[in-house]
Amino acid sequence: MSWLSRLNPRGPGSRTGRSAAPSGPCTADPETCLMVFENHWRQVSWVLEQQEPSSSSDDLTAVRNHTDQMLCLLAEERPAESAEGGAAPMGPILELVVTENILERLVQWHLRRGLDSDSQGALLKLFEMLIGQSQQQPLLQHTAVLHPLLRLLGACADPDLGCPLALENSLVLLLNQICVSMARQPVVLEMLFRAAPAQQGSTNLLIFSLLVPFIHRDGAIGQQARDALLLVMAASASNEAVARYIAENSYFCPLPPPEAVSRASSQVLATGLSALYSSLPRKIEVRGDDWHALRREDWMSVSSLVLFMNSLEFCNAVVQIAHPLVRSQLLDYLHNGFLVPVMGPALHKSSVDEMIASTAYLDLFLRSVSETSLLKTFLRFILLHRHDNDTILDTLLTRISSNSRLCMVSLSLFRTLLSLNCEDVMLQLVLRYLLPCTHVMLSQRQAIRVTDLYGKSADKFLSLIPECCRLNAASSAERDEDGAFWGKVVNSPSIESPAPPRPSTPSRLAFFIRQQSSGGGPGGGGPSTPTSTEPPQSGASHPPCPDSPMHQQLANTECLDWDSGYLEYLKDSRQGIEICSWACRDWSAPYDGENPSPNVAAPPPPPPTSNPTMAMFPEHFSLQQGGSGSTPPPGQQRAAVVAVARSEWSSSERDSGEWDVTIGKNNCISLTPRSKKRSLQREEVLPKPLPRLVPSSSSSSSTSSSSSSSSSSSSSSSATPLSSTHAASSPAPHNPTSAVTVGYQAMCNGMAGQEDGCSDNRDRGLEVKKVKRDLGEQQYLDENANQNGSLVTCSSQGCAALPQSIFNDSEMSDAKSPRPNQIPSQGPVAPLVSDAKPPAGDASKPCLASSDLPEANQAQQSVESLIRELLEQAPGEPQLPGDSNGQGISIEAFTQELRELEDRVRERGRAACQQEETARECLSSERRQPQQEEEQQPPSVPEPKPPTGDTKGDGPALVFGSPARPLNKPASQPYTGPFMVVLFAKLENMLQNSLYVNILLTGIVAQLACYPQPLLRSFLLNTNMVFQPSVKSLIQVLGSVKNRIEAFAASHEDFPAMLKKAQQYLVARGKVDWADSPAAVPNLRRSDSLVKSRKPSLGELILRHTNSPTRARHAAQLALAHVRDGGQSLHSALFKGGAGAGSLEKQAEALRVKNAVYCAVVFCEFLKELAALAQEHAVTLPFPHSQEAEE
Amino acid sequence: MYLEYGWDVRYFFLPSKRNSSNIITDSEEQSGHSEQRASPARLPFGKKQLPPIPKNAAPITKPASTGTLAPSANGTHASYGPFYLEYSLLAEFTLVIKQKLPGIYVQPSYKSALMWFGVIFIRHGLYQDGVFKFTVYIPDNYPDGECPKLVFDIPVFHPLVDPVSGELDVRRAFTKWRRNHNHIWQVLMYARTIFYKINTTEPLNPEAAVLYEKDVQLFKSKVVDSVKLCNSHLFDQPKMDDPYAISFSPWNPAVHEEAKERMFTYKRRPDDHHKGTQVSGLSWVKPGSMQPFSKDDSPPQS
Repeated sequence: MSWLSRLNPRGPGSRTGRSAAPSGPCTADPETCLMVFENHWRQVSWVLEQQEPSSSSDDLTAVRNHTDQMLCLLAEERPAESAEGGAAPMGPILELVVTENILERLVQWHLRRGLDSDSQGALLKLFEMLIGQSQQQPLLQHTAVLHPLLRLLGACADPDLGCPLALENSLVLLLNQICVSMARQPVVLEMLFRAAPAQQGSTNLLIFSLLVPFIHRDGAIGQQARDALLLVMAASASNEAVARYIAENSYFCPLPPPEAVSRASSQVLATGLSALYSSLPRKIEVRGDDWHALRREDWMSVSSLVLFMNSLEFCNAVVQIAHPLVRSQLLDYLHNGFLVPVMGPALHKSSVDEMIASTAYLDLFLRSVSETSLLKTFLRFILLHRHDNDTILDTLLTRISSNSRLCMVSLSLFRTLLSLNCEDVMLQLVLRYLLPCTHVMLSQRQAIRVTDLYGKSADKFLSLIPECCRLNAASSAERDEDGAFWGKVVNSPSIESPAPPRPSTPSRLAFFIRQQSSGGGPGGGGPSTPTSTEPPQSGASHPPCPDSPMHQQLANTECLDWDSGYLEYLKDSRQGIEICSWACRDWSAPYDGENPSPNVAAPPPPPPTSNPTMAMFPEHFSLQQGGSGSTPPPGQQRAAVVAVARSEWSSSERDSGEWDVTIGKNNCISLTPRSKKRSLQREEVLPKPLPRLVPSSSSSSSTSSSSSSSSSSSSSSSATPLSSTHAASSPAPHNPTSAVTVGYQAMCNGMAGQEDGCSDNRDRGLEVKKVKRDLGEQQYLDENANQNGSLVTCSSQGCAALPQSIFNDSEMSDAKSPRPNQIPSQGPVAPLVSDAKPPAGDASKPCLASSDLPEANQAQQSVESLIRELLEQAPGEPQLPGDSNGQGISIEAFTQELRELEDRVRERGRAACQQEETARECLSSERRQPQQEEEQQPPSVPEPKPPTGDTKGDGPALVFGSPARPLNKPASQPYTGPFMVVLFAKLENMLQNSLYVNILLTGIVAQLACYPQPLLRSFLLNTNMVFQPSVKSLIQVLGSVKNRIEAFAASHEDFPAMLKKAQQYLVARGKVDWADSPAAVPNLRRSDSLVKSRKPSLGELILRHTNSPTRARHAAQLALAHVRDGGQSLHSALFKGGAGAGSLEKQAEALRVKNAVYCAVVFCEFLKELAALAQEHAVTLPFPHSQEAEE
Repeated sequence: MYLEYGWDVRYFFLPSKRNSSNIITDSEEQSGHSEQRASPARLPFGKKQLPPIPKNAAPITKPASTGTLAPSANGTHASYGPFYLEYSLLAEFTLVIKQKLPGIYVQPSYKSALMWFGVIFIRHGLYQDGVFKFTVYIPDNYPDGECPKLVFDIPVFHPLVDPVSGELDVRRAFTKWRRNHNHIWQVLMYARTIFYKINTTEPLNPEAAVLYEKDVQLFKSKVVDSVKLCNSHLFDQPKMDDPYAISFSPWNPAVHEEAKERMFTYKRRPDDHHKGTQVSGLSWVKPGSMQPFSKDDSPPQS
């Protein structure tokens, strides 16, 4: 064994040493070597030739020792000198090996005497050494070497013998070596294929089938296996002969090698991914308020995720190098074996946690895949695959409007999608809705291509910067005349421009980073530096006082150039637009309103009907209904009373479940969210039944209800100029009184808007709470927040689905119509509704409910009672204030029950759906009426209906009669698509969104605004465009946000101070993030810096399932601590009433205020960003098609 | 611009036919941009980067240049005015580039975005072989003011060109400068047109007008003289002392060969390219189909 150990290829340096001229006796003297070899062989063959294979270990030892020596000699041998310079003849030893078939006999002997793992291992090592070391002669090209090798491998593959665990390493190493030499000598590959028939089955298959089990392994062994496989793939892809061989042989072999190879490996790959995926954590436990995507640091410490990512990476590599045949098969299997059966259902799991996890995973996968065709497979799955009737894309879209974490994760996914600059994605998301150009007035069509030469749009955007925000800057600064406040807070950017390297990833927080980088600069001066580090720590302990360094910094920075910040935006915009337009240069069309022609464009799909949503997204569905005004009858009065408080809460917390988590001083809160959320959701289910109460008549009209309701809700909430009545009361969220009104309206009206919905829900939440009176206040708050968040989900979801077009209508009518009756209204109301033509909105609302005919009531009642039961039982568990105790378990149980309940409800809902068809028809006829009445804006009236129902319903196409519409096409409402609708709805709600939602949201809109396609550009950035009345423009949305901010500021006298603090905090936060490693995460775009500051990787927090609650809790606490001494404490310090400030209301208020103030900061920056984008678009030159440019 | 490197444009451009002149236009644009972004100090061409960015960002970042600009009366945000003006002019320049006007090259001055240097090559007609340098002056209340002025460095003998100042009568074509309708490229186009289609009404140079009407032969010979005169001053130092002024020099292979090569091979790419392979832009939409993944062929290989 001494030889072996010396030559052991695993030994350090052995690999590199191999190519060096062998030293030792053989080099010196081939003759001697041969003699030595023969000598050994004689002794071995003597043993081999014994008839009865002796079982004596002496024999074995002897054979082994001699074999070692022999093979070492063989490995080191050089080919004989060839006079002609042709193929070098074999060296003498090799010749002997071949003629005597030594290796074959050896292996046979071993096999005959029964291969124990010891000698199997020894053989494996020997061969591995032989192949690895034999640089001099291509040993594998000789069947005398190859066949015994295959025989040995065959033994390893033998189900009886198998390969002992201990030998796996050796086996994989050997296989790896084989593959390496195959890659070096393609002939070997060919020979392997040829040798196949000789062996049982296919040799190739043998090697692959041996390798494949290891490719998903962890650690070095998995890596070696993957490498090996890749090598072979690469070799077979480039070797014409093998490819031909493969092709030719695929006829007579049922499982021809090539096919087999690809099939076996890709199948294994795909199924392997599926298996690995199933072991991923179902829930991602993250405390960070801002967490929204998995970054490398996050998953590196989660072994199951690492494993998965390795495999995905491997797939990516295989796709990259493999033969097209193999590749297409692999992609096929990935699609049909992983994405569809595993990813699809995973994305549709009914628990929010699982949705969050799967969405985050999908996002991560998309970001990790680099091979175009693999990416295509993923995208195709997302865009086209239908799971329960809806494409994955639709499903994902609905989630944007959900509560904050799910929303953030979804937004993050869409950001990734947008960043691909993929035409197909953009087509499905946005462009197909804009293609028909029905969203603009006919006369405006040419304007689509017009570029804004004189900065009019930019001016318009900038003019939306609320007065209060400018005042803020001006009031404290000397330079009152400056319009933009940002520059004041910031240090001079002029210094900054040449300065420190930026992170390579444009970040949403770039504003803040920017500030900070300049702050550290010479201009920043002393105070700024301390500030940057201080706020995090100091903030926690001391409340901000006027003398704090922050203020000094402020003062210091206030005299800086206001416009430099804008300059940065211009630069970023230019870069963004250039990259985007470069990336889009190979698109099939310019999308400029002429090509593709609007007349040819297929009508975009109508807004989704309520049904599908329900089917695929039960929870939300139910929520939606609740939101949509199914309000419980009692709600009305109470609403009035409670609405004030509730609305306050809801508005502030709606999206910020996380805020609570982080802010809350008690761990309990921070720990609970997951389970709690779940329970909340269940509670929300309650609302669902309610809608059912709606009279059947109304329900009939309801098909579209969900959409309309949500639309109305969004409109009302947004305080759009359009909404007449609402407008009056609209400053809603901020203003308690107005809030009340709104809430009231909502309740009365089935149509409740988003806000209404919220207040509604809140109400409901209230009820629930009453039941649980005993719970800690904290808990309440938390729940509330959550609930609100979820509420939002429902309503906004609806929005997404709905056609914006309805807005006006429903809104207006809504406002005017007699709502009060409606709700409690059962049968009697119905007639009312239809008469009043209570807008589509009304009628539609119930749409979900549509199905619930009479029986619905029962169902609902039973559900209600069930829920009540549950709630009664529940109180014990979820509410543990301390939460540190084993709440988890009881909650789980509770959850379970709720889930069952939910299922039941869902089932009913499904049954209801079936009846929907009928309902729809009624609806359409009903709808016609309103239309006629409101002829002024014919287009806006009807919302797109389901295609099927349509034709019939609108028989009198005249009603819709838009001249442009080609015949036969269903009447299409101007509808800019669910993506735009949901984004705008969310945007309109900015004031209530959490900071992080807003940052993501504005980032996505800005990203969209980078696209050079005139259709999209004009839609977002041309502020002079005249859209159809039913189409909301970005500028309208922003206008309403501006109004709200101003209303808010007006009602808070300390707004300027808070605004400054918020800016300060963001700057500080940006610094922290910045300091943390700007370049580390190139993969993640935008806003990654948000998360950078958390030191302990989130990965630690991602725990498998729920089975280790203690660990989870512990990790969460850890993380919480970190977050706390990070910005969080500063946060709470900044806004009084923050953590533990006391009463519930105070906290709620604080939250609301905080969100609003941050919103103001982000909003102003966003406007500048949009203005810069608008300006840059005018000066961008298109890139030529890449073929023209022939790179 | 390459011109300032002293290329003899005649060698370079005149022999080339239509199509090549188009190419030249493209590359000219690119090199033009690079120029604009370069520092005023001339660098050896070889060391110059050809930045892909088409827009002229330099003046904006330079206080010197912005400082000279009067804030526009644009909108309520007077403070953003300079940006608007700069960007309006940039947008105009972008339009010029997009127009690919045959035989016309312009380049904004280093010192002010309101002054553009240009040169026109006349390839046939009475003024064939003429190479006329000119300067465009844009009013500082652009786009709400008068129409831009265009002044030839050397007064060309032409009815519409002032024989003393060299100013072209632009106003007759743009009686009222209307934003959104009138663009600087139109002025340039007009400046080119006058050499091909001669108009003698209300001339700035009555002599030329009269001659053209009464004695075309004499007119022609005067034109030939004028062209010769202009061309003989081609290699003069630019009238304006500006780093971006256009200057000509005799063809010198050592200097120009490589530059020419680079111009022809240059491909514009986005400035910042770190985003990796996926920037290549994905599309599986079959042209005309408007359906995702409608392309049959295998996905594009990046």
